[in-house]
Amino acid sequence: MHDLVVIGAGPAGGNAALSAAQAGLDVLVIDEASQPGGQVWRAPSLGVTLAADPDLTRGQAMRMALGNAKIPIKTGFSVWSVAPISDGFEIALASEGGPEMVKARRLLVATGAQERVVPFPGWTLPGVFGLAAATLMLKTENMLPGKRIVIAGQGPLLLAVAAKALKLGKVPIAVVDYNGLGAWLRSVAGFARHLPSFGQGLTWQAKLALGRVPIRRRSEITQAFADNNGLLAEIEIAPLGRGRKQRLRVDTAFIGNGLVPGDEILRLLGVKRVPDPMTGWRIAADAHGRCGPSGLYVAGDAGRIRGALPAAAQGRRVGQVIARDAGITTSFDAVDEAPEFERFADASCRLMQVDDARISTLPDEVILCRCEDVTVGMVRQAIAEGAQDANQLKHFTRLGMGPCQARMCGANAAALLRSHAKVQPGAEYLTPRSPIRPVDITHMAGQFDYADIPVPKPAPL
Amino acid sequence: MTKTVDLAVIGGGIHGASIALFAARGGMNVTLIDRDALARGASGTNAGTLTMQMTRAALIPYALKAHEMWVRAPEWLGHDVGVKACDGLSLAFTEAEETLLAERAEARRAAGAPIRLVTPEEARAIEPSVSTQIRMASHCTIDGFANAYLTGVAFRRALISEGVELQEYTSVDAVEPAARGYSVHTKAGVINARQIVLAGGVWLEPMLRWLSVHVPIRTLVNQLAVTERMPPVMRTVVGIASGLLSLKQYPHGTVVIGGGWQGIGDRTRNTHSVVHDSLIGNVRLAVHAIPGLAASRIVRSWTGFEAETADALPAVGAVPGHEGAWVCGSVHSGYTSGPYIARCLSQAILGEEPEMPLFPIDRLLPAVVSNPLK
Repeated sequence: MHDLVVIGAGPAGGNAALSAAQAGLDVLVIDEASQPGGQVWRAPSLGVTLAADPDLTRGQAMRMALGNAKIPIKTGFSVWSVAPISDGFEIALASEGGPEMVKARRLLVATGAQERVVPFPGWTLPGVFGLAAATLMLKTENMLPGKRIVIAGQGPLLLAVAAKALKLGKVPIAVVDYNGLGAWLRSVAGFARHLPSFGQGLTWQAKLALGRVPIRRRSEITQAFADNNGLLAEIEIAPLGRGRKQRLRVDTAFIGNGLVPGDEILRLLGVKRVPDPMTGWRIAADAHGRCGPSGLYVAGDAGRIRGALPAAAQGRRVGQVIARDAGITTSFDAVDEAPEFERFADASCRLMQVDDARISTLPDEVILCRCEDVTVGMVRQAIAEGAQDANQLKHFTRLGMGPCQARMCGANAAALLRSHAKVQPGAEYLTPRSPIRPVDITHMAGQFDYADIPVPKPAPL
Repeated sequence: MTKTVDLAVIGGGIHGASIALFAARGGMNVTLIDRDALARGASGTNAGTLTMQMTRAALIPYALKAHEMWVRAPEWLGHDVGVKACDGLSLAFTEAEETLLAERAEARRAAGAPIRLVTPEEARAIEPSVSTQIRMASHCTIDGFANAYLTGVAFRRALISEGVELQEYTSVDAVEPAARGYSVHTKAGVINARQIVLAGGVWLEPMLRWLSVHVPIRTLVNQLAVTERMPPVMRTVVGIASGLLSLKQYPHGTVVIGGGWQGIGDRTRNTHSVVHDSLIGNVRLAVHAIPGLAASRIVRSWTGFEAETADALPAVGAVPGHEGAWVCGSVHSGYTSGPYIARCLSQAILGEEPEMPLFPIDRLLPAVVSNPLK
């Protein structure tokens, strides 16, 4: 039984573990990746050298601090479920070594964000990647696939990926930005609240301008087309509203429309989502990250999309809150609450907003649930036939029944329900189920003897 | 003035929805009420197994009739519930399980199920992917499965075309005897009905209390899991002697793993969830029975309630002391025999003689203590 288990070793989880351990708690950290860092502060693969970069520097500093603090970290472990027990939480892990249960008096969920994609016909073709996948490849392998690439969607990640592609010598055929210059300018005041990040953003913009990368503002990909082998070959882009459509020959597209909380574990433990005008939804938590059952905490993007630096600050703070709640310490260091981050995060989130109307006006033929090939039209038909909530939609269409468990389509299906059905608040989301990620049966079962399976007593004859 | 319907059915699972359908076809004016959407409880989340080898011996005659109904669902229901008929095997891995299997196969055979014991070689001819470690199996030629999650949409279409009024997302607060029948108090208003059916699964106990009838109903929390889509790995329904495993592969490739391993839950709060060790045990049993499952992944697990009376036999019949009030539920492996049990009860509601005997709940009432003052 640990005092505290932290799930996710990104900026929030890593820093929370550091401050909780410093206060004297026995902490265990669990992360899927092979090294701490999370998505933004991700460590490069062994043997890959990256040019200096603020995220890399911050990640290395945190990895060093975690190492110096001798905090045990189970890397390469996927948490497939968490359940409340009488005196805390049972965290279910699975790996090549088989199943393993970890118990904790307190649990911090710092599982970061997930990417949201506004779909278009052809978005599931091989050759189309998420912007998050692009950053993962850039940060671990310093590479991007493709020769003729297009980068499309919205939000700060769009610029970051474009600038880094350019640095690798890959000049994007186009950057297709949903937002116009006006939207970026409206966010300038917020971005300017954190000058180093603002500076980085300006540098990216300048590099794209110098590299003569065509930026199509207030535009989006409206269709993608395959070649005879079924691979991405061409995209159609169009200005929002009216305007001339254009076709571009590409072999790779990186797309993304912002981020949503990676909150599966929290929802599994009964924590509710609450609507948030800026980020779609956030997790119901108090100012100290306490949420749901006693002993459960959230920090970082898993609770509300704010970005890496606010997540790190929040992690440090929540780590101290946990130590205080555990009665280990009564002192409370003056943790920098960093109000400038709020405005900065709002500026980023404003650029990632997706109105329900963008989903509810998609053509019928667009695939919504890629695991089960459920189209927008099939969802509309199910709603017309009486499906009034997400669980019913799942039963009518198989939406969300595949390997990703609606991670990809859940936010978009919710938008359709809100637009077309009489859905009760909260019922636009599927009931959360474990496993959080698909688990290899060999990992869940492990090595066992038949005689040791605790088969319950036979059912009545 | 509030209109009076012939029949109000409270609970839109397999029992309630079937009764509403048959009563409407019998000429009744029917309203069906559920606090959620149709078949969103046990009827939409169970494993869909249509097996005789997990059915209680006393229910085999009903389950055989129901199996035929399920297979012919497109004819009487008018819609597809993804039913597939196939062979079924129940396995024994130990000597103790052999004894259990032989005893249970004999009891079910005596009740009418076409079950016979087979050698491991014969079992492998029927199901080539079965474990080489089996010592014996029982084979039933009448087995199969439905796609339980399609129950709601299929019945919804059928009920609407039959003119049944559906009141979904409508909870019932109370039922009171009225001048001519009963008043059903819902959050959306009062419905007057000449007859009522209580078909609320594990909530039958609180529902019967509306009429001051006290029947304890135990709540089981059954766990299930499903794999990702995988190439064909099995073609029968596979279980084990104790009944604690059910396995079958759906045409789209997923394998559903069940067998009644217990999760935890609370009927009053309507919450239920998976117990990790229970799920691991269930998955171990599954991969032990069909080793080919090792190539797959578990993508989802879930839980659902099952109701059980004190003697684990159904609560199906008239509510004692309340003319025109009926109860239907707590049928072990209730989905399997559901449509037929419901047909029998709907015959009684329509004033006919049921095809097969019902399971009146008088036996479950607390023994009447004689009043010494009388």
